[in-house]
Amino acid sequence: MPRDGRRHLSSQRPSCLAVTWPPPPPPPPRTARATEGRRGRAMSAALAVARQRLLGAARGGYNAALRHGIQTGVQRLQDLTEKVAAKETESQSLTDLGPLILQRNSMRWDGKTYEEIPIAHIKATYNNTHIQVVSFDNMPFARTSCGTEGFQNAKKGTAIAAQTAGIAAAVKARGKGVFHVRVMVKGLGPGRKAAIKGLTMGGLEVISITDNTPVPHNGCRPRKARRM
Amino acid sequence: MANHLRFIGRTVMVQNGNVEAAYGALNRILSHDGIIDDVKRRRYYEKPCRRRQRLAYEACRRVYNAEMARKLAFVSRKNRQDPWLGC
Repeated sequence: MPRDGRRHLSSQRPSCLAVTWPPPPPPPPRTARATEGRRGRAMSAALAVARQRLLGAARGGYNAALRHGIQTGVQRLQDLTEKVAAKETESQSLTDLGPLILQRNSMRWDGKTYEEIPIAHIKATYNNTHIQVVSFDNMPFARTSCGTEGFQNAKKGTAIAAQTAGIAAAVKARGKGVFHVRVMVKGLGPGRKAAIKGLTMGGLEVISITDNTPVPHNGCRPRKARRM
Repeated sequence: MANHLRFIGRTVMVQNGNVEAAYGALNRILSHDGIIDDVKRRRYYEKPCRRRQRLAYEACRRVYNAEMARKLAFVSRKNRQDPWLGC
């Protein structure tokens, strides 16, 4: 009696090995420029077709997926335990920062507590970067921006300009006796990282970075989408 | 953020003077929480019809990527029982 191992395996071939699974993803939605008009209707029809195909394939492969699911259930458990172990090592490196924030009360910089160290506000807009170094009770030390450093118009919205402004602000603050600074960044502009680098290059020591980007909980309506 | 305590949320302490690593950690945390995408999206108004299309597209994409990852994990298995044992 011949071994029917080969026949047995092929009948058990899971559906996910078939060429048609998974079905190709729907194309991304068009941006504001090209969505209106006939093309828009065709795009939404294609999206609907893709979604129906996905649902149909899911229903058809259900039985095969059941059998396949039992087989891979054990493997998924193994993968899960591996992932949990990996996440624990990752979270260990992240929670090293956690206790650091909690230990902040006992850390001193030049004999000052964390709450007494001056703050460097960096406002990184898309067209410019402003830097202001302030004491903990809002007494100003230094204020620079890309414009005060001699850049004009489009050149203000660059990383190099932000770095120059950072160096200048650091030098001014150093002259007034500021050594350590905690940074508060606002906005997602090109000068966001470069300004911090400029502060470090100018001689100030950054001890913490906070992100203060304003996120409205659906407040004011922003301007309309650009059509380029 | 004005209603919350300052320097507690979205804050990363700099360890050993490594400002680059601290900034990278902050960026990773923010993008993982979806704040950076949210701020970029709120730069211009997203009409409700665009928003519905985008959410549907992201859902389909998520399903597709999960299924593809599952398929790849299945196809690239190495440790399994020998199917031709004894023959």
